[in-house]
Amino acid sequence: MAATNKANMDEVGMNKGIWVEGRAKKKVLEFLNGLLNSKKLEAVLMPATNRTKDSYSWFLMGKDGLLESADPFPPVMTTQGARAVSYLTKKGRAWKKTAVLLRPCELRATIELAKIRQVELENLVLISFDCPGAYPLEKYFNGDQKKLDEAFDACLSKQAELEGARAVCSICNRFTGRGADIEIGLIGGEAKGFWLIPGSREGEDLLEGVTGSASHKLEAREKAISELRAQREEKRKQTLDSFQETVKGPENLMRVLSSCINCHNCSRVCPICFCRECYFDSKALSSEADAMLQRAQRKNGLRLPPDLLLFHLGRMTHMSISCVSCGACEDACPADVPVSMLFSLAGRNTQAVFEYEPGRSLEEAVPYTVFKFEELKDFEAPYIKEYSKEQ
Amino acid sequence: MADQKTEKIIVAFLCNWCTFTAADLAGTSRLKYAPNIRIVKVMCSSRVDPVFILKPLLDGADGVLIGGCAPGDCHYSKGTFYARRKIALAKTLAGSMGLDPRRIRLSWIPASEGPRFARVVNEFTKQIEALGDNPAKREVYI
Repeated sequence: MAATNKANMDEVGMNKGIWVEGRAKKKVLEFLNGLLNSKKLEAVLMPATNRTKDSYSWFLMGKDGLLESADPFPPVMTTQGARAVSYLTKKGRAWKKTAVLLRPCELRATIELAKIRQVELENLVLISFDCPGAYPLEKYFNGDQKKLDEAFDACLSKQAELEGARAVCSICNRFTGRGADIEIGLIGGEAKGFWLIPGSREGEDLLEGVTGSASHKLEAREKAISELRAQREEKRKQTLDSFQETVKGPENLMRVLSSCINCHNCSRVCPICFCRECYFDSKALSSEADAMLQRAQRKNGLRLPPDLLLFHLGRMTHMSISCVSCGACEDACPADVPVSMLFSLAGRNTQAVFEYEPGRSLEEAVPYTVFKFEELKDFEAPYIKEYSKEQ
Repeated sequence: MADQKTEKIIVAFLCNWCTFTAADLAGTSRLKYAPNIRIVKVMCSSRVDPVFILKPLLDGADGVLIGGCAPGDCHYSKGTFYARRKIALAKTLAGSMGLDPRRIRLSWIPASEGPRFARVVNEFTKQIEALGDNPAKREVYI
């Protein structure tokens, strides 16, 4: 179970990190192998390189230890981690204690999916880390991977911007693993080591017996994080604000979406889009030739397949409230549409209405499922006031 | 801006228990109201998915009216509260993506208030006429 409860987080976590000296990648794998050997964990779900070594996939690894190619900090996001977790636990809880290594955005998506019962968190130990961002898939596959890997490793410990990261990563303001059972703290470690910070009782139990010096300069880490966060929040606001200007009006929005080929890939890879059959792939929107001819006549032309904008806007009404800005949509887009910006913008605005932040806490219900008696007065035409005027 | 030549079309989703009954009452009371609305009856205003609102707006309707029971009076007791959240989301999204949220209106009209229904329809029609044609009306690429 993840400790995403705020009170719980203050109680444990904070200032209780264990400082581990050494290369983070190697040491994290050692730590996980140790837990597997001591039977504290029975399985680990984490990315590892494929056989061809040029890409990453998720693997469920068991008692004989981790795959040699396992990598806790992959430089690309191939499958959104929350999807991997959902594949594992969609049909019920994991029966064995399983650790899952997730990027912060994957962690938030996992928590969102747990709320809508696409993930069962029981027996899962969520581990996350300070993410420097990820490369666009296309760039990674076609570029000099060795060079990119090196640059990525260099960024892991420093707060340096990852050069060539996805647009949505460069404006990410939730880049730490806070909220996970165990947070791997890289920022502030200055490449000398990292912290293992428990975020829940369960995380604390697992960290018992890990050798390392107690709380070493955790304040420095907090300071570095808050500085970077302020910087990113400013950048995020500016970028999204200026993007909003470019999509003003249906004709401008269509300009941004003009290269869309209606493949619905963005929905297929989205961790939040969990429906077995998407409404927009269903027959619900299909109509007879007659109806389409009428529409064409009315508008002087109709693009086919129709309802491209309805698909995007409609999908936004479904997922924007839970959008964690992970950018999986843009990685999957074959037509280079800036969908991650579009969805991040929609998400920012709709989430603000309900003061909701996806993945912040398990206790925070998805806004669709709850209500307050007195709220959102700006969105309804007033009733009582006008009514009394009529009398 | 205001294009008086073409008749403005407003799609109205009315809840079966209150607003649709109010519309009925307006009819039986022989009240006159603007002929611009096309009524779709739904069992509850919370049945109105934001997609229902976006579809006519993108297809060229000039406005969408959602009518339901007043908060607290809902036939299903909680429907209007869910509806309000959904409409809030639809309006916000429309606003962020450059559609005019003023073309969407959520009104609470109880069953016994035919005159009020007529007034809301007239008022909203007037507002839509002032806004002019929906720019999506002739947008081929949508």
